[in-house]
Amino acid sequence: MDYEIVVLTNMAIGILFALSLNVITGFCGQVSLGHAAFLGIGAYTSAILTKAGWPLVATFLPAMAMAALVGLVVGMASLRVRHDFLAITTMGVVFLFTGIVRKQDFLGGEIGIAGIPAPDFGRPGLLVMALACVLLYLIFTIRIRKSWAGFAYDSIAEDEDTARLLGVNVPRFKLFAFVAGTAGAGLAGALYAHQVRFIGPDSFGFVESISVLAMVIVGGIGSIWGVILAAAALSALPQFFQIIDDFKLLVYGLLLFGAMRFAPDGVDGLLRRLFQRGTAP
Amino acid sequence: MLYLDLLIQGLIQGAIYALVALGLTLVYGLLRILHVAHAALFTLGGYIGVIVTNDSGSFLLALMLAMLLVGLVGMASYRVIYRPLLGRTPLIALIASIGVFIASEEMFRIVFGAYGLSYLTPPLQGQFEILPSIYLSYARILVVILAIGLLSLVGWLAVNTRLGIAARATVGDPKMAASSGVNVETIRYASFFIGSAFAGAAGVLVSLLNNLVEPTMGAVPSYKALAIIVLGGLGSVRGALLASLALGVIESYGTIYIGHLLDRDSIAFAFLIIVLMLRPQGLLRRD
Amino acid sequence: MKVSRLSVSDVTVSFGGLRALEKVNLELDDNQLLGFIGPNGAGKTTLMRVIMGLIRPQSGTVCLNGTDITKLPTVQRVHAGLALGQQIVKPLRQMSLLDNVALAVGGQKLLSPLHALFARSRNVERDTASSLLERVGLGTEMQKRPNEVPLGHLKRLEVARALALRPELLLLDEPLAGLSKPEASAMADLIAGLPRSGLSVILIEHNLPEVMRVCPNIYVQANGRGLALGPADEIMAMPEVRQAYLGKDV
Repeated sequence: MDYEIVVLTNMAIGILFALSLNVITGFCGQVSLGHAAFLGIGAYTSAILTKAGWPLVATFLPAMAMAALVGLVVGMASLRVRHDFLAITTMGVVFLFTGIVRKQDFLGGEIGIAGIPAPDFGRPGLLVMALACVLLYLIFTIRIRKSWAGFAYDSIAEDEDTARLLGVNVPRFKLFAFVAGTAGAGLAGALYAHQVRFIGPDSFGFVESISVLAMVIVGGIGSIWGVILAAAALSALPQFFQIIDDFKLLVYGLLLFGAMRFAPDGVDGLLRRLFQRGTAP
Repeated sequence: MLYLDLLIQGLIQGAIYALVALGLTLVYGLLRILHVAHAALFTLGGYIGVIVTNDSGSFLLALMLAMLLVGLVGMASYRVIYRPLLGRTPLIALIASIGVFIASEEMFRIVFGAYGLSYLTPPLQGQFEILPSIYLSYARILVVILAIGLLSLVGWLAVNTRLGIAARATVGDPKMAASSGVNVETIRYASFFIGSAFAGAAGVLVSLLNNLVEPTMGAVPSYKALAIIVLGGLGSVRGALLASLALGVIESYGTIYIGHLLDRDSIAFAFLIIVLMLRPQGLLRRD
Repeated sequence: MKVSRLSVSDVTVSFGGLRALEKVNLELDDNQLLGFIGPNGAGKTTLMRVIMGLIRPQSGTVCLNGTDITKLPTVQRVHAGLALGQQIVKPLRQMSLLDNVALAVGGQKLLSPLHALFARSRNVERDTASSLLERVGLGTEMQKRPNEVPLGHLKRLEVARALALRPELLLLDEPLAGLSKPEASAMADLIAGLPRSGLSVILIEHNLPEVMRVCPNIYVQANGRGLALGPADEIMAMPEVRQAYLGKDV
């Protein structure tokens, strides 16, 4: 039972992480190659606080706030640069994060933070907590999708200039997406830190950012259920097949390329074409 | 003489960045795509360099072979990765490129091992005193000569050959160029060949400088090269060149002065972010 | 002193070495329909984009009802009463024609994400959109996606979307291009009726017969410079105009 709990918890954290990127990249169309940095900010914030004696749940808000604060800054940067430069700028964010964290002793330096306290309610409790977080965030993203915010994001993701001409306050909406998305990643980070109980600067790099982007893309950019499926599958897979874990990156790489080449709409697009359904939420 | 030494080291590093960044700039200028898979070509060059030198004893042969083979693989990468995706938004090509890059790194690791390969007898190890008490290894000197040579060659080609002129026209205005009879496909293949060959050369040179080629060595130079084309602005080759040298020097001094705050590789991105905040269009935008 | 609805003063725009607009001046009163003609490359679309804020001029000012809006972001200009129907149509392809227009009716909801988050229903906006689409003759096509309708329909969609913004000043960039003769006539009639509802309109068009028919006044631009502004028949009789425009283009 213990093993399954670990796997499920990882899946839940992965889903939350992917849903948060989905708000930024899926809904709002802003490429972020640095989302792992916000996972990291949340993880480090939460870990430092619990090591100082705080209960886990109390660290959620600070973790989200710290991630969202940096997310706001990155969002403001995104307003100024062309979209193709944005990809590289967000890549820069994750390198900067790793580079800075590595050098700060109070963040554990190269070694990172070890011995993060286990949550009082044990692994089952953490799983419940993670599921609760996923559920709440899911409700939030569905809300965005079904409201006028989703309507506005549809226009922004497709054609920013036209969105402006239709009266959409593109800068405000973009910032909102960044803040909402990075806060979600921060929350996932807090959970992650207490799942693995050890974090270091190498845990939150470019490859992790690409992995979560893979989940969003393979799921079908913008599609909530597609992303959930993809995230669940991609998080769980390596754990069931140890052999795949060794080749995990190779699979990711080929998957990304194959998905773009043959099914750029992702799982959601494929399913839609297969079943001729209406728009998924 | 620390400052001078740092400057020289920085410029040499910048020359290497320039070799890598050229290919990326050409591709970006032509296709508006960030060719992340370029990193794999750099690494491939390194592997070919080491393997051929170790096998045949001739570094020169290895260098030429590396440039040729990597150039060809580069052309293939256009055909396989980018051409099928031309009609779609650049994000798709970017992700595909990242996918190929990651898969390639893994292939190198699986085939050649994670710990890399080294030269059996590293060539060009002697040192030369170019200025009083400033020594440069022959390898470093080769880097400078090759970089200057290759980049000048491209500069000459761009101005004095039909291919070069056509290429510049295509970057400036693809539709005009096409309707003036330029074969856009040829330009693209040629650009991929040249850019990839240079990356391959850079890979060989770096493997020589470090006496090591390992699967992930392409990553960091390529990320920095991406930052460089942003800094250089809009596919401008001259801009990329200047940005490369500037970055090399800034890293060199930066590691000394702010190395306690940031590690070396993130200096490039700190620089990038600062510049973009001040000049969102890049350092050298032609307005 | 009467304040014009639109006042463009000495606007100059350069792209690299190219002068797209050179000290352009233009004034438009309330409830006025102004035809805007000129050969291709005259800078007509560029001027529209400057007025909308998508392009920043190197020098010069743009004023709406006396207020200087030269530095105002596009979104604020739209909410202040400006609207543009683009020359190269830009429908949002992921949604129906109805939703394309309904979005533009959003008003305040499009300004603030928090406001938008708490608004779910699109019914009111869709109703308004529906009548607008009927007005431009797309009543039966509302549920279709942009990929499913011909260019002429998309041109009409641009107009409907711009009208949905309830503008005071409407800029239309070649709305008749791609329409059949009867469709173009109908659209020109619709546009001619707009000043009666309080709009001022600038109509960029190459379809000279229709422009002559519905526009009382015409502004001519060539090579980025203003050439002439005045009553339609006087303008068309001017030799410089005929040379600049008709000589090259008809």
